[in-house]
Amino acid sequence: MNFEIVELFSIILFFISFFGLITSKKALKSIVFTLLLQTAVVMFFLSIGFGENILPPIGEYVANPDYVHRVADPLPQALMLTAIIIGVSVSAINIVMLMTIFRKHKTTDWDIIKKENMG
Amino acid sequence: MLAYFVIIPVLIAVFLYLFSSAKSGRILAILIQAALVAFSYYLFSLSRVEEIVTVIGIYDGDLGIVLMSDNLSSSFILLTSFIFLITSIYSFHENNKRLFWFLLFLWEGLLIGIFLTRDFFNIFVLMEVLAIVVVILIMFNRENRNLYDGIIYLMANLVAIQFYLFGVGYVYMITGTLDMYLAAQYIAQFDRSALILPYALIMTGIAFKCALLPLFSWLPKAHGTPSAPSSVSAILSGLHIKSSVYLFLRIQQVFQDISAREFFLVIGIATGIVGFIMALSQKDLKLILAYHTISQVGLIMAALNIGDFYSHIGGLYHIFNHALFKSCLFLSAGVIAEIYKTREVYKIRGVFKEAPIIGLATILAVFGITGAPLFNGSISKYFIATNTNWLLNAILIFMSLGTIISFIKYSSILWGKSSAGETSITIDKCRQLTTLILGLFCFFGGIFGAQFIEFLFNVQVSMNFIGYLEKVLVFAISLTVGYLIYTHFIKTSSLLGRICKARLNFRGMCASMGIFFMAILMITGYFYS
Repeated sequence: MNFEIVELFSIILFFISFFGLITSKKALKSIVFTLLLQTAVVMFFLSIGFGENILPPIGEYVANPDYVHRVADPLPQALMLTAIIIGVSVSAINIVMLMTIFRKHKTTDWDIIKKENMG
Repeated sequence: MLAYFVIIPVLIAVFLYLFSSAKSGRILAILIQAALVAFSYYLFSLSRVEEIVTVIGIYDGDLGIVLMSDNLSSSFILLTSFIFLITSIYSFHENNKRLFWFLLFLWEGLLIGIFLTRDFFNIFVLMEVLAIVVVILIMFNRENRNLYDGIIYLMANLVAIQFYLFGVGYVYMITGTLDMYLAAQYIAQFDRSALILPYALIMTGIAFKCALLPLFSWLPKAHGTPSAPSSVSAILSGLHIKSSVYLFLRIQQVFQDISAREFFLVIGIATGIVGFIMALSQKDLKLILAYHTISQVGLIMAALNIGDFYSHIGGLYHIFNHALFKSCLFLSAGVIAEIYKTREVYKIRGVFKEAPIIGLATILAVFGITGAPLFNGSISKYFIATNTNWLLNAILIFMSLGTIISFIKYSSILWGKSSAGETSITIDKCRQLTTLILGLFCFFGGIFGAQFIEFLFNVQVSMNFIGYLEKVLVFAISLTVGYLIYTHFIKTSSLLGRICKARLNFRGMCASMGIFFMAILMITGYFYS
């Protein structure tokens, strides 16, 4: 399997979700699109250093000297674990704040929330 | 050694959480802050001589995470610990909530981390955690909390940071390292056209954090929101935004060949002009100051991208000056708003009668920010404009004129008959002391300007007396013109009232981020590939 497709697909996904952020009127949809944006970045990182006949950097492959130069770079995966954890916590805070806003304004429409907060 | 500068404030934050609601706990907190200032001065004096490098982990420089302290970063750390000391003395009586002191120390540790680290991914982690810390702090006071400000800040930051992270992924894919210095070395070997996309992605994230022209809509609400304690606003405006400017400097060094200097020069100038026009239309004390932060960051960005040595030094010195006078203004505005129980600039009169020391600190800081002769703003503005051509010089004078006009409006709160009413509250000694110290620093930073610059950046600069006198003349003329414009035009204009309402919502912010990304991609692609 050609992993350049994954890279390309992650770029496309990134900009699709960015387009979604620009166009979605409801705040909840925006939060979903930020999650999608993070997924695109994670996918991009995981595609780094992957290719044909590359083995995942876990388990017996790492210990076995025969496989060592066929094992994928483990660093992006370690980075992405951190990024996913941070992304989850930030999204959790976002959703909590949105819930409070929803209770106050009874809507998740960005324009209405903005108008009620400005006036 | 350097890792302790990040770890110790965080550990102290956890430790103090147990008993910082007691008075003795807060005294301990302030003593620790003072000790941190002393330690960062020690680090600064060491880093002036040579770079200090610490590698975290058992690996050597190529694989481990590298913390590095050179002259620039250690001077920023000195500034950070100083501003945090001042603000924690300020909020000694104001805030006895444990969460506040916990977050304050955590914030300090994370900011120092940003100044120290050389690792791209560390910066991502620190920026994300900082965004969470800041969003809790700006919604700190429950009674007038506005969740809309918070959610806008956090979500827009999340999107911007994803841009940054995507760019970092590209850098890692191309160079195979996350270390800034090594990446800068490897990048020179590669084809420039491969670097344009990562540069545009990273710079979109950083420019959002710096609040440059189309991307600043999040800043005024975050920095001027009523629910934030004034000490938090002071740190946000004085210091927090400078961490992004610092990152901008560092990342420009990595992408030396394709750094779009002219683009950022133009954007910086435009940000400066739009910032003060927006500031002129505001009525709220804190919002005026918040919009001025945008304007001043635009000036700093323009100065750093002119490409002249003196302008660069002037821009760096202006970062420090802005930290001093803007935090002084925010802290004193907090006291003023408490005395008068309103934040509307037209309803407040007679601060000098009501609170002479706060008034004195405010006027010193106003002199600093407008670049009055003998004050620190004039020194940095003098160096920024030293070797520029006539066009840039005219633009800089125009920007300074705008600052003068809106601070004539701001300082009108100082004079006249007091409008506070009967209920006069006693003003806290700690607050008077801290605002006055910051105000005096604005003054001494002007008188001993060249010495301060030599102390901070380890470079010798000399000032031309005739040239400085010229600046004094320009200041006097623009003060007169500014006063006339203010009384004859600004006070009666209805156009500004409409600008006041203009602000992007979340979708608009994302769209402006996309526009900025496309612009920088096309410009670097066209001119530098």
